[in-house]
Amino acid sequence: MKESLDPRINRFNLLSLDDLQAKPTLDQLPTYEVFVQPNEDKTFQHEGIVHASDQRMAFVFAKEQFSRRSTCTGLWTVSTSDIYCTPTTENKQSVYEGIPEAEEKEGESYLIFHLLKRGKQHKCVGQVIAASHKQALQVAKHVLDITKPVLNAWVIKESDIFMSLEEDKVIWKTLPEKTFREAIDYRGSDKIEKFKQEQGKHHHE
Amino acid sequence: MYGGGNLFETIKAESVSHEDQGQLEKFEQRIDRGEKIEPGDWMPDLYRKQLIRMIEQHAHSEVIGALPEGTWITRAPGFKRKLALMAKVQDEVGHAQLLYSAAETLGKTREQMIDDLISGRSKYSNVFNYPAFTWADSCFISWLVDAGAIVNQVANSRGSYGPYCRALERICIEESFHLKFGHHCVIHMATGTAKQREMMQAAINRWWAPMMHFFGPSDKISAHSATLMRWKVKILSNDETRQQWLDMYVPKIWELELTIPDPKLRKDPDSGQWVYTEPDWEEFKRVINGDGPCNKERLAVRRTAEEHGRWVRKALQKPNSKYLTPLA
Repeated sequence: MKESLDPRINRFNLLSLDDLQAKPTLDQLPTYEVFVQPNEDKTFQHEGIVHASDQRMAFVFAKEQFSRRSTCTGLWTVSTSDIYCTPTTENKQSVYEGIPEAEEKEGESYLIFHLLKRGKQHKCVGQVIAASHKQALQVAKHVLDITKPVLNAWVIKESDIFMSLEEDKVIWKTLPEKTFREAIDYRGSDKIEKFKQEQGKHHHE
Repeated sequence: MYGGGNLFETIKAESVSHEDQGQLEKFEQRIDRGEKIEPGDWMPDLYRKQLIRMIEQHAHSEVIGALPEGTWITRAPGFKRKLALMAKVQDEVGHAQLLYSAAETLGKTREQMIDDLISGRSKYSNVFNYPAFTWADSCFISWLVDAGAIVNQVANSRGSYGPYCRALERICIEESFHLKFGHHCVIHMATGTAKQREMMQAAINRWWAPMMHFFGPSDKISAHSATLMRWKVKILSNDETRQQWLDMYVPKIWELELTIPDPKLRKDPDSGQWVYTEPDWEEFKRVINGDGPCNKERLAVRRTAEEHGRWVRKALQKPNSKYLTPLA
């Protein structure tokens, strides 16, 4: 057997292993939908999913997956099964067309998410009090200021969401000297310039 | 990181004549209007199948793509480089997760996709079946292979499937960090000592052929590929992406007074196209079909990781948990 260039692969003798048996079917964990607040002035928006065994694990994975590179001031995770989802309408048609309006009554807190353009992300547009997911949408029609056609809406009971807290924000604080987000901080062109000047000198000598 | 996607193994041409013609017409009109397709929408089988295959192979390329550079984390020259490389490799694995989720919205579970990767049923980008001999090889990958990936991904992010476009937009933002990191690494080597320059040049010489293969052979213009272009599953041809990459990066390599091991390479002033020695497509086929220098090693690492992590996943399983197709 040829040796690997990676000393660890040789140390664990991976190349001499026979092909493993087919993987037993077992480990499809449930999915959690992840919402991120990119900065204090913006609302929470859907970013994607993680597979996890519970909300806390989903939160840890979501933090790694969705909040390392870009800025973040808040993170929510919620089980896919806890989201009430309307069908996606044709453009210009709103999901609120054809559903009745309802007054806000006693109940629990629900959060409403809208998709305004195909290809974009669902964004949190507000919170209503209602007795069920379905009713929350009717209340939303009455209470929220909906000006543009909504192509798809999600309704999530607030208590089903695992939310980051105010004191968690420290997770996303980067050190002031960590300026990797700007291309200029790499100073690549300075190095190339210096190199060229030196090469030039040598050519003349 | 990504190599070509639907190029290495396209599904066999399939007719759309069994589809509901009214639905098909509405679907095509939506794409013509520049609107995205979302998971709940009606779509032809061929569209769904081709996208699953393409996104899945892209995801596998991210997973396997983390390996050649990953081998250099423990031996990176200095703490800063080690930190940056660790973060980059973590990004690549994260990209795989983003892509697997996008494919999941089309109905294939992540577990099925990972099964297909480790059993060898699914393909991934050819370029990762080559070894990273020295740190300079890792620098080449970080800069120039990622640059190739960006050309592909920027094009594909203009495609028609919403979840794939959203994943690609995220990926492209992160890849731009990689590109800066990789360029910085290569500049450091190229402007360093004679030994460093020599190492960098040797890495370019080793990686040039796999890099030219990366974009895939010239596309055959078939009815099948015309359909995929019309449905915005495929946006640019292989030759177009190769030309874009050459145009953007050959001058940057030459700027560092490094050479490229192709005596024919030049830009034709009349056509504006790069002229190059035709890559050895027999080797490309041989390697993608399993006979490359690292194919066995790459899959062995994945299989071992799968097997070693199995008890953890087993311990996490809950009897009542139910998997649902993700929403977007």
